[in-house]
Amino acid sequence: MVVFLRDLLRYRAEFRIGLVLVAVVLLLSVLASFSPYPPDSVYVVPPDLPPSLTYWFGTTSRGQDVFWQLSFAIRNTLLFGGTVALVSRLVALAVGLVSGYKGGWIDRALMSVNDTFIVIPLLPVLVLFYFVMRDRISWLMLALIMACFGWAYDARLIRSVVMSLRQREFTQTSLFSGMSTRQVLTDEHLPYVVPILFSTTMNNMVWSIGLEVTLAVLGFTDINIPTIGGMIYWANQHTAMVAGIWWWIAFPTIAVIMAFIGLFLLAVSVNAHIDPRSRLWNVGEAS
Amino acid sequence: MHASVEQPHGEQDVQPLLVVRDLQAYYRTSHAGVRRAIRAVDGVSFAVRRGEIYGLAGESSSGKTTLIKSIAGAIKPPLEIVGGSMEFAFLPGYGGLHRAPPAQVERIRWRHLSYIMQGSMNVLNPVRRIRCSFTDFAYPHIGGSRQQFEQQVVAHLSRVRLDPSVLSAFPHELSGGMRQRAALALATICRPGFIIADEPTTALDVVVQKEVLGMIRGIQRETGSSVLFVTHDMGVHAHITDRLAIMYAGRLVEEAATAEIFRNPLHPYTQNLIASLPRIGEDAPRAGLGGAPPNLADPPSGCRFHPRCPLAREICSREVPVMREAGAGHRVACFAVNGDDGA
Amino acid sequence: MSGYAGYVGRRLAQFLLVVFIGINIAYVITHASPIDPVEQSISAVTSFGNTAPDAIEQMRRSLRELYGLGGTPVQQYLAFWKRILSADFGPSLSAFPTPVGTLIGRALPWTAGLLTVSTLIAWVLGNLLGGLAGYYRQSRGLKLMGVIAMGLHPIPYYILAMLLLILFGFIWPVLPISGGATMNLPQTLTPEFVWSVLQHAILPALSLILIGVGSWFLGMRSLVANVLAEDYVVYAELAGVRSWRILTSYVMRNALVPQVTGLAMSLGGIFNGAVITEKVFGYPGLGSLLVDAVYAGDYGLVLGVTTISILGVSVGVLAIDLLYPLLDPRVKVS
Repeated sequence: MVVFLRDLLRYRAEFRIGLVLVAVVLLLSVLASFSPYPPDSVYVVPPDLPPSLTYWFGTTSRGQDVFWQLSFAIRNTLLFGGTVALVSRLVALAVGLVSGYKGGWIDRALMSVNDTFIVIPLLPVLVLFYFVMRDRISWLMLALIMACFGWAYDARLIRSVVMSLRQREFTQTSLFSGMSTRQVLTDEHLPYVVPILFSTTMNNMVWSIGLEVTLAVLGFTDINIPTIGGMIYWANQHTAMVAGIWWWIAFPTIAVIMAFIGLFLLAVSVNAHIDPRSRLWNVGEAS
Repeated sequence: MHASVEQPHGEQDVQPLLVVRDLQAYYRTSHAGVRRAIRAVDGVSFAVRRGEIYGLAGESSSGKTTLIKSIAGAIKPPLEIVGGSMEFAFLPGYGGLHRAPPAQVERIRWRHLSYIMQGSMNVLNPVRRIRCSFTDFAYPHIGGSRQQFEQQVVAHLSRVRLDPSVLSAFPHELSGGMRQRAALALATICRPGFIIADEPTTALDVVVQKEVLGMIRGIQRETGSSVLFVTHDMGVHAHITDRLAIMYAGRLVEEAATAEIFRNPLHPYTQNLIASLPRIGEDAPRAGLGGAPPNLADPPSGCRFHPRCPLAREICSREVPVMREAGAGHRVACFAVNGDDGA
Repeated sequence: MSGYAGYVGRRLAQFLLVVFIGINIAYVITHASPIDPVEQSISAVTSFGNTAPDAIEQMRRSLRELYGLGGTPVQQYLAFWKRILSADFGPSLSAFPTPVGTLIGRALPWTAGLLTVSTLIAWVLGNLLGGLAGYYRQSRGLKLMGVIAMGLHPIPYYILAMLLLILFGFIWPVLPISGGATMNLPQTLTPEFVWSVLQHAILPALSLILIGVGSWFLGMRSLVANVLAEDYVVYAELAGVRSWRILTSYVMRNALVPQVTGLAMSLGGIFNGAVITEKVFGYPGLGSLLVDAVYAGDYGLVLGVTTISILGVSVGVLAIDLLYPLLDPRVKVS
C-alpha cells in the first residue's frame, strides 16, 4: 500500500495535481474551526465590501465574511459528499460482492434492480422529495436518500471486478492449495477491490456534491446550513451578479471546481495506475 | 540480388527466403526510474529455405515470440532491434521490415508475408462479417473486379473445406474449428511466399489440431510457401516441420533436420527436451531438468544454459559458445559437444 | 431472429421494471411524508394572496382526491396507479384551471429537442475525438484536448451553465441568455422563429455538450487503448490493412459498442443536467416547469413532471437498447 502510494506520487502527475487541489480545499475546510464568527449569524461585518487585506474574499450583502463563510460551506459540502459516499459504499460493496461471487439468478435479479437505479432520473425524484418535506428536510436526510440512489453504478463496477477476479487462475490455484474462501477474499482479492473502492468513492463524492450544489442553488435543501450551493443561493437571492458583488459567487465557485477536479483526478490516476496496460503505455512513451 | 544474400555456416541452398543474422532484440523499459533491458533475443542466426517448414521450439519466455515479432516487423516500444539483420528475398537490401519504407512494407504484407496467429479464434473482427475481413486483408493485393475476387475467395475457402456461406457470417456464428479454418484461409488467400505460424494449434483439441496441421501442410505444398512454424509442442514439430531449431533463453542452441534432432539430439538441453517426451510402452519416470529458465533481464554469463547443464564446465560460465557444424546440416552451440575451441 | 426476440423481451421487461420501481418510489415519497401534503400545498398557494374560504375548501377536497388520501392503503395505492396510467394529474394549481397534462405537453417538445440534439452532438463529437486521441496518442492537440476534458468532465451542469451565463450574458453579451425564443414571435415555422429558437438554444445546449463531450472523450480514449491490444487489431496491423480502415472499422467500431450501453446508462444523469440547465437559462422545458411548480406549491404538476421524466428517460433507454443489436451482432446469440 505504501509502495502503491509512493509510485502514484512519483509517476502520476494527475495524482499530484489532484492531491494538491484536495489538500487546499481540505485546509480551507479545517480553518472553519478557527472562524471568529458563528456560521449562521448575519450582519457581523460591514456588507458588500470587495476583497481587501481585512476581508480577504470580501463580504456578502448579508454582512458575512466570504472567507469564513466559504470555509464553513466547503466543510459542510465535503462532509455531505463523504457521508453519501460512505453509506452508498456499503450498499455498493454488498450488492457488487454478492452479485459477483454468487452469480446465477441472484446476480440477474440484483443487476435488474441495479440498472433500474442507474436509469431513473434522480433530480426530479429529489425535487419531489423536497416538495413533500419542505422545511423538514435536513442535511442528513438528504445525504441518506442520495446514498440510497447513488450506489448502483459503482455496484456494477465492483461486480465486474469481482467476476474477473473469480475467473482468474490465481483464485483457483489458491483454492486448490488449501486457502479458505475467506483467506482468498481478504488476501488475494481485497488488494484489487480497494483501489476500485477508492476511485469510486472519489467519483461518488463528485456526483453527490454536484447534486447537492444543484439542489441548494434552487433552494431545495436546508438553506440555513452554509454549503457551497447555499452560498450561491443567497448570492442569487441578493442578485449579487447584477449588483457587482462578484466575489460572493466567484470564490465558492472556484473552491468547488477545485474540489471537483481534485477528487476526479485522484480517481482517474488511481484507476490508470491499477490498469497494467496503461502502465506499459507509460513505459513505451518513456523510452 | 543473389550476391547480397549469403549463407551462414555453409547451407547448400542457393538462395534462402529469409536470412536472420546475429539478431538482437531487447525490451528496454524505464519503469519506476530503473532502466532495464530484457535481452529476449540475443544473437540469433538462421535461414529459412524456399518451400520448407522451418520449426522453432523452446519453452515459454525463451524469446520465440519476440523473434517472430521482430521478423514480422511488429516492433513497438518497449521492444527494440538492437543489432543484426533479417533479410527477406522479396525485400532485399533493407535488413528487415522495420528498416524498409512503410509504403513498401504495406505492399509486402499479406502478399508475400502473412501470419497465422496464436489463438486464431480472436483474430477476426467480431463486429464485421467474414467477407469484410477478406476484403480488408486481401483485396488491395489481389485487385480485379469484386466478383472475381469473391470467386477466388470461395475457391480458396473450399481448400479448407468451408462453405461460401461463411462469408456472410459473423465470427461468433461459426464454431471454433470453422473460425480456425477461416483464419487459415485468410492468412493464405494471397498465396504468400512466407508464412509465420505462431502456435497456431496450441489451444485446439487433438482432432482439430491434426486437421489444421494437415491443411497448413497441404496449402504450403500447393503454393510452395516457406513457413516459420513456432510452437513449444515437440509433438507438433515432429509432425509437420522439415528442419527444427531449438531456442533457449534468447539464443539458438541447436538446429538440424527435424528427424535428425529427434534421432540424435546433441545439445544437453535438446536431449532433455526429447527425453521428456512420453513414449508408448515405456513406464520409467521422466527425468526433469533442475532449476528454472533464467531471468532475461540478468541472464547467466557465458552459455545461458550452464547453471542447469549436467555437462557444464569452467569455460561455460565464461564464454559464449557459437553455433558449429557438428554433422551434415546439424549445428549446435555447446562447448561439451564442439570442444573448448568453440569460443 | 428468435435470438433478437429474446433480447427485445428482456429489454422490455427491464423497461417495465424501471417504470414500476420509479413510480413506486414516487408513491412512497409522497405517502410516507410525515406532514400533511394537502395542508402544505394549501398554505403554499394561499400565501400568495387572499383566496375565498369556499375556494380553499374546494381545493382541499380536490387535493385529497388527487393525493389519493381516502380509503385503505391498498385503495390509495391502486388509485395512485390509476391516476398515473391514465396520465390524469388534475388541474394545475398554479395555472388554474389548465390541466397539468397540457402544461407538460407544452414543455415536453422543448426538453426533448434540446436533450436529443445536444446529447447526440456530444456523443458523436466526444467519441470521434476520443477515438482519435486514443489512436494517435502522441498528438499534442489531442493530448491538450484530453487535459481540457479532464477539467470539464467533473464540473456539475449548474456551475458550467452559470459560467456560460456570466460569460455571454455579462462579460460578452452576444447571445440570448433566457427563454426558448423571442417573446413576441408567433410560434409557427417561420424563418425568424426557427432562427430565434436556434439562437436561444445555443447556450443551454453548449452547457450540456461541453460536459458531455468531456466524459465521452475520456471514456472512448481509454476504450480505444484497450481495443488496440485486441488480437484482431494487432492482426490487421500485421496484415498491412490501411491504418484509416483499422481506425474506423476495427478500433472505433468495436470501442463504440460499450459507449452505446454507456449512453443508455447515463441518460438519467443527462436529464438531471437538462433540468438545471433549463432553469438557469429560463428555457421553457420540463426542468423549468418542475422547479417553478415547486415554488408555486403545485403538487399535481410536480408529480406529473416527475413521472413523465421517469417514463421519458426509460423510453429513451429502451430505444437505445433496441438499436444496440445494429451495432453489436453478438447480442442475438447471448
